[in-house]
Amino acid sequence: MATRSPVAAWTGNRRREAGLLFPSPRRDVAFPLAGAVVLFAAFVGAGLLYTLMVEGASAEKLITAMFIDAIMVIGIQIYVGNTGVFSFGHIGFGAVAGYAFAIFAIAPEDKYTRIPNAPWGLADVEMGPLPATAVALVITLIVAVIVGIGLGRSGARSGSVAATVITLALLFFTHEVAASWNELTGGERAGLTFGIGDTLQTRTPIYLALFAAIVLALLFARSSIGRLNQAAREDNLAARAMGINPVVQQTIALLLSVAVVAVAASLRVYEIGSLLPEFFFFQYTLLTLVMLVVGGRNGVTGALLGVAVITAVRESARRMGSDGYEIFGLGLDGNLDWVFREGLPTVLLGLAMVVFMIWRPNGVLDDWEVDAWLWRRFIRQKPPAAAGTAPEPDVLDLSASGVTVEFGGFRALDGASIEVSNREIVGLIGPNGAGKTTLVNVMTGMVDPTSGEVQLGEMGLTSEPSHSIARAGLVRTFQNLRLFSSLTVRENVEVAALMASVHRNGGTRTDIDAIVAGAGLWEQRNRRAGQLDYGNSRRLELARAAAAAPAFLLLDEPTSGMSDTESLAMVESVRNMAAAVGAGVLVIDHDLNFITGICDRVYCLDQGRMIAIGTPDEVQADAAVKAAYLGEAAQPGEDRT
Amino acid sequence: MTELVQNLIDGLGRGSIYALLALGVAVVFGVMHLLNFAHGELITVSGYAAYAAFSNGWSWYLVAPLIVVVSVITNLLIERIAFSRVRGSSEFTQLLTSFGIHFLVAAIFLMYVGARVQTFAEPGWIADTYSVGPVRVEVFDTVVIIVAIVTLVLTAAVLQRTMFGLSIRAAAADFDAARLMGVNSDRVIRGAFALSGALAGIAGIFWLMRAGHTSPTSGINPMLSGVLAALIGGLGSLKGAVIGGLALGLAEVMLRTWLPGGAAALTQGVVFSLIALLFIFRPGGLVNVAHAERV
Repeated sequence: MATRSPVAAWTGNRRREAGLLFPSPRRDVAFPLAGAVVLFAAFVGAGLLYTLMVEGASAEKLITAMFIDAIMVIGIQIYVGNTGVFSFGHIGFGAVAGYAFAIFAIAPEDKYTRIPNAPWGLADVEMGPLPATAVALVITLIVAVIVGIGLGRSGARSGSVAATVITLALLFFTHEVAASWNELTGGERAGLTFGIGDTLQTRTPIYLALFAAIVLALLFARSSIGRLNQAAREDNLAARAMGINPVVQQTIALLLSVAVVAVAASLRVYEIGSLLPEFFFFQYTLLTLVMLVVGGRNGVTGALLGVAVITAVRESARRMGSDGYEIFGLGLDGNLDWVFREGLPTVLLGLAMVVFMIWRPNGVLDDWEVDAWLWRRFIRQKPPAAAGTAPEPDVLDLSASGVTVEFGGFRALDGASIEVSNREIVGLIGPNGAGKTTLVNVMTGMVDPTSGEVQLGEMGLTSEPSHSIARAGLVRTFQNLRLFSSLTVRENVEVAALMASVHRNGGTRTDIDAIVAGAGLWEQRNRRAGQLDYGNSRRLELARAAAAAPAFLLLDEPTSGMSDTESLAMVESVRNMAAAVGAGVLVIDHDLNFITGICDRVYCLDQGRMIAIGTPDEVQADAAVKAAYLGEAAQPGEDRT
Repeated sequence: MTELVQNLIDGLGRGSIYALLALGVAVVFGVMHLLNFAHGELITVSGYAAYAAFSNGWSWYLVAPLIVVVSVITNLLIERIAFSRVRGSSEFTQLLTSFGIHFLVAAIFLMYVGARVQTFAEPGWIADTYSVGPVRVEVFDTVVIIVAIVTLVLTAAVLQRTMFGLSIRAAAADFDAARLMGVNSDRVIRGAFALSGALAGIAGIFWLMRAGHTSPTSGINPMLSGVLAALIGGLGSLKGAVIGGLALGLAEVMLRTWLPGGAAALTQGVVFSLIALLFIFRPGGLVNVAHAERV
């Protein structure tokens, strides 16, 4: 065997890891880069066109501020857009970076007038703007790590109050420190000021940072980390059941996002030439958030559109408020004085926020993105060949033994045991409230058992976190569908395949298109999952689970709500999927025709206990099963879901 | 010792106002899962109404009920115009809606009344004190505490004894289940906003008495106090909101006394960070906001 040089091995590994980060180089790297060039050219072009049309220093300043705001908003978008976690705190991070930058970058002789007694001899520090930005970046990232750990611990997710409170606390805390630590920050009124002529004189660093921010944001959204974040944004629980650990992914998004914000904040301070606590507080938070949501927070294109539109609206409102108004050269009479006056810009911002939340909470563009549009426009795909059958895997057993679960005083499971091998399809039946879903919840780590064990081969899975169990090879579907509804059909499958290639089969790729086609969803591959009809949604959930390359598929009522013909078709789908990925199947269902049609063995659960095991025919003939189904022993109560 | 008692009474006085504000925040959160950042604007609006009334020669005895009425009507209007249209949207959407309203109301006053702080006369007795042994007690604190107790007892009676109260409590416990049980969601939500507005109005009377002025941005502090106190108490829990309000009042007074000179200005930030830490270390324990998700 030829030995590989260490260098070759290393580059090989790099390449494989890059492949995991960007599954399809053309779609996930080349197109986003092209998209970034298009966006940058359009945005900067629009700004420069304005300065050509409206000459003067104030127009130049306005456009410079707009470019910096754009970097800031893209920074916020990287976190808020991809994770769906709402953050008030990004402007707080901006405050940290802004002050760090100012304290390090202002020349000592200027510091002696405002903050001669700054602690740690900071007043004597002399540093250029570039190293000062680097220092600001590092300090802000350290704060971000701490806040990120806090957010992770609080279980931050889309819509969580905890995240709002923690980020709001950061905003207030930084503001109060900045306003009261006079020796360091110059306090609330005096603040910090650069010497005359020491401020930013050229737009070059702004252009560089803006382009870098757009590239980063687009690449991140297409990277596997971005996609995993988007999946968790859509459905946190389903994402964990897929093997995603949202906390890790969100923290990465936070750090990247804060890095961009820190650079934007440094540029903002450098450009304005002075710094007061209120520069990075509520008012700027409102401005950046409105910019983010008007265009669409889920995309970079939307964020830039929002920045441009809001800047234009604010500037017109300001000019009309102060200089009187002239619309298209028509001088209007004074009867519009009640509209065009001081305060109008803020009224419009507040109004834009409320109106957009009511009318289009996802903004004008929602998640429309220029690179994805180019991809759909110029790349035609052919349907792939159907997937073959997976080679038979080694024998593996999944077992739960003596599982007891108590909810308060209610015993949902009472010493239930079940065993499934990866060569068979096993059914789990039982009347409503028997504890079927609870058993699956225990096996997938969503409910902690009071006692009992779950084992996969030699591995103990009892009470492990859901995402670890999914990575070990147990992947489930849900009784009430949980798709990533604003991702496309293909992206739903892709997220699962990504997890599989990282955690299940050591970097080999799953053929996503084959799975999509195999599930009969090829025509719908670019539609959002939320737009599918019920039967297709069920098929997609199954396909997504299969794409996770599980050793075992746990299906919770896959035919719930389906007609008889649809259930029969489902028998075929489940069989094919199981064969294609070589997984064992445990399926819960009410539909006895479906269960007898598909299962090798059937377990029957009643009031938390296993009352029968055997072939479908044996179990159907069992007296205890009949009694349970016909009601003598059945208890009223809903299925513990 | 004397100082401690003095602080205690001072803290309870502040805390009573916070409790009323927090209860208003919690009632609305209970029925809509909305953390209402526009709550403080009720005090901005009623503050300007009070200012207008004073300019026409009204006395505090007439202005006080006016403040409550204006606050209730404003809250119902805000619900009608904005919140009713985002009902059932994501928390993200609802939160940003209230955030937008917070700025919108302030900016409207900025635009039409101006940034100037409008002052009005405080009632004559505001600085009066009386002695109980060695402790000097403010008449104002005494009045605030008594009114707050009466208001809370009345609110508790409404919540415990009436059909409306029952539906609000049911909705706060489980909104969907309450709706399935035939609770009229429109009426409950409107009722919750009216109740929340009334509580903010009563708190607003004392807030404005003590401040003696109003300005476009005067809503931010009552909003923060109300939201913070409701967070301490657990948001959905009405009893918790009252306790949270008192705790916040006491904490502010104590921190202001004990924190070293410069750090006293950090009170709000410190309280905020303590709450954030609570959320971090007891995500489920402090507050039952994160209802266990059904699988």
